[in-house]
Amino acid sequence: MDSANPFLPLSSLRFRFPSPLVLLGFCLAIALMLPLLYVAFSAMTADPAVWRRLWATRVPELFLNTFSLSLGVAVINLTLGVSLAWILTRYTFVGSKIWDWLLILPLSIPSYVLAYTYTYLLKRGGTLEQVWQTIAGPEAVFFSPFSFAGAVLVLALNTFPFVYLLARSALKNFNISFEEVARTTGADRVTTFFRVSLPLIRPSLIAGLFLAILYVASDFGAVSLLRFQTFTYAVYQQMTGRFDNTAATCLSLILVACAFVFLFGERWFRQRSRFYQTTSRYRKPVPQPCRPLTALLFTGYLLLVFGAAFGLPVLLLIQWTVKAASAGEISHVFIGYVWNSISLSGITATAAVICGIPLAYLACRRQTWASTFCVQGAYTGYILPGPVAALAVLVLVSQTVPQLYGTILVLLMAYLVHFLPAALQGMESTLQQLTPNLEEAARSLGARSLRTFFHVTLPLVRGGFLSAWILVFVQCMKELPASLLLRPVGFDTLAVRIWLEASEELYQLAAPPALLIVVITIPVVLLLMRKDRT
Amino acid sequence: MKQRIRRNRPAILLRHVLLFLVAALAFLSWVFAGDTLVVYSGRAERLIQPVLDAFQAESGINVQMLTADSTALINRLQMEGARTPADVLITNDAGTLERARELQLLQTTTIPDLATTIPSRFRAPDNSWIGLSGRIWVIVYNTTMVRPGDISSILDLADPQWKGKIAIPSAGSVYLQTGVSVIRAVKGDEVTTAFLRGLKDNAGSFVYGKNRQIVAAVARGEVAAGLVNHYYINRHLAKHPDAPIAPLLTDQEDQGMGVVLNAAGVGITAQTKRLAPAQALVRFLISPKGQRMFANVNKEYPLNPHVTAAPELLPLQSFQVALVPLSRLAQLRNPTMTVIEDVGLR
Repeated sequence: MDSANPFLPLSSLRFRFPSPLVLLGFCLAIALMLPLLYVAFSAMTADPAVWRRLWATRVPELFLNTFSLSLGVAVINLTLGVSLAWILTRYTFVGSKIWDWLLILPLSIPSYVLAYTYTYLLKRGGTLEQVWQTIAGPEAVFFSPFSFAGAVLVLALNTFPFVYLLARSALKNFNISFEEVARTTGADRVTTFFRVSLPLIRPSLIAGLFLAILYVASDFGAVSLLRFQTFTYAVYQQMTGRFDNTAATCLSLILVACAFVFLFGERWFRQRSRFYQTTSRYRKPVPQPCRPLTALLFTGYLLLVFGAAFGLPVLLLIQWTVKAASAGEISHVFIGYVWNSISLSGITATAAVICGIPLAYLACRRQTWASTFCVQGAYTGYILPGPVAALAVLVLVSQTVPQLYGTILVLLMAYLVHFLPAALQGMESTLQQLTPNLEEAARSLGARSLRTFFHVTLPLVRGGFLSAWILVFVQCMKELPASLLLRPVGFDTLAVRIWLEASEELYQLAAPPALLIVVITIPVVLLLMRKDRT
Repeated sequence: MKQRIRRNRPAILLRHVLLFLVAALAFLSWVFAGDTLVVYSGRAERLIQPVLDAFQAESGINVQMLTADSTALINRLQMEGARTPADVLITNDAGTLERARELQLLQTTTIPDLATTIPSRFRAPDNSWIGLSGRIWVIVYNTTMVRPGDISSILDLADPQWKGKIAIPSAGSVYLQTGVSVIRAVKGDEVTTAFLRGLKDNAGSFVYGKNRQIVAAVARGEVAAGLVNHYYINRHLAKHPDAPIAPLLTDQEDQGMGVVLNAAGVGITAQTKRLAPAQALVRFLISPKGQRMFANVNKEYPLNPHVTAAPELLPLQSFQVALVPLSRLAQLRNPTMTVIEDVGLR
């Protein structure tokens, strides 16, 4: 039939693509969504008495705690992020270029590692309290790490780079003319900042805050070590403290529902507040040199933030690791944990990229309702906090194929549900940049679809897929709650070791794995940022 | 030539991936092969690892351990069913062990000298679990703030005079759950609920996830007294010999309730395929050497009467212990949780 019409448009070739692709994508999406659907189902069919008890005793407190924690972190993040971005985009002084890089590094410390260094720093009679007492008198007490203030501090120090990075790029691409107009009409610097600049970078700030809050609400590591009751931590406690998982599924459902509301709220807000560059008179802001005293003040401030979020914790880790090494505490057992972490993360990353290929392909090359469904379905894992993902997989497996429970496959499934979205995001954007013309050309020359994929598409998107692999690998290395709940015997990962030792306050034993994770994560964080920048 | 290399690259990449997967799978099967005894342990690794190491050195049997919360381990055993890799279960709470027995996760342990080594009240009726060490739930008080005569019963802590002066464990604590179970069994739900209400009001924000923090708060004088397992007091005193703290054993009057005693213990799983090594481990744990390591390291009471407790402890025979059998703790547990949550303890 084709030969009858030599002018068949190339785009109609899509009908010849095998529908197995759609089928495969469909199966993957279902597999990824099933755990969540199952949790929702079992929560909704739970005994009303369980719901009543939870509403009466746990839910209000958890709401209040999760909300106030997010709010506290958001306030500190805004203050730190905006002020740091302002200093580094509007002024230039000795060393101001290096700070651009240094302020990203806090992202390489997992929340539970930061939390555990702070349980040491903030403990009664600890280092910080001693310093504080020399300033404020011997009776002064510092706040306890196991408190609201402690949780806010640790999580804010862990997440402020999100806000800082987005504020920085917004301030950097800012049209300085707006500020200049404000200044010429007589507004002083402070007024200009609050009335002109800040409102204009609001969309970026919201996006940064959104990321930070999602991180805080789904964080397990820090809140569990600081024993601050949030929804995510409560799900874990219900799972490990009760003989049935009903209450845990109920709390999970509430948490996921909140996350969805939050997600759509953010979309809606972003669509409403979008600013466009309408004038062609765009001028980049030029950083101004500043006086030595101001420069000193700025450097002091930067040092303080950086030291608190990265420098001090890492120094502590190094010190403890050296002590542990000289005490002979790093043995072949430790190497075993390293291998567990690396092999698990490697397998997961590979599986995530392989599963991501059909989904990314569907997202970029077929925009039908079915493919949209598949892709959105695969993204649901994005908002699942770790314990919920673990619970979802656990409940599903125990009801359907209990034979799998306790094997490595269950853990891999939880990892995949949790981390595939991260891989998919990167792969989708890589594939998007590749014009379909190349594939169509190969197809028109007679190559089958698989051959086209392996010989045309894959070599061209390899870089993007590789960074997706690395991203998942690193996320898996840091993953804590699912590993803790689902690991098979003999599969303690580095993250699990850190958490187990840190909850016994064996600082020295937790340090080597923690330091290793930070060291592995740093280049990846820097790599991703460099890519982001160019 | 160059063209050809380029064309093959994806294939090479794929091959690397496959090789990696094969290697990983080979590693996994290597891990699960072999005659390694698998222990599920709810006890802090720091306390149990040296004991298992000693057993391994003595017997030549390799031991692998999975550490998690006791309750989570029971859930896990139940879900794994016949396929569980676990041979031995060790927990810090007799209630959890009894729960495992009810779920038929454990099997009767037949060791010849069991009856003469561990008294029957520290064992399951059918010997499916065996107590190894005893821990009592006591009041730790600050000696500069409280006189021992001020408190005679644990229920006194609910008295309004202690408002803002006591520290208690959080609702998730197994020790609290066991303690409340015993009080419920002896005094009934009404008295227990009133007691918990008072406790909650008096403790205010002094609710801690770890016993260690309660002892520290009492030692600093932030609160006058707190509820803890006895060995946390000894542990604190070992580090800070001058700390003004002491244990107070409650309900010691004639016909009184006595202190709450819980036991850490061990059971062999119903599904084990390595019965002989599992029995060897249990025998080691009840032997004088194993008992000394298991109990005395943590200043708990060895339940083998031939082994003497650490010298700083009051002898087990010198005080009254609540007569609620350890094996009843399991059936008390879930209603106890409901009572605790209804009162609104955190």
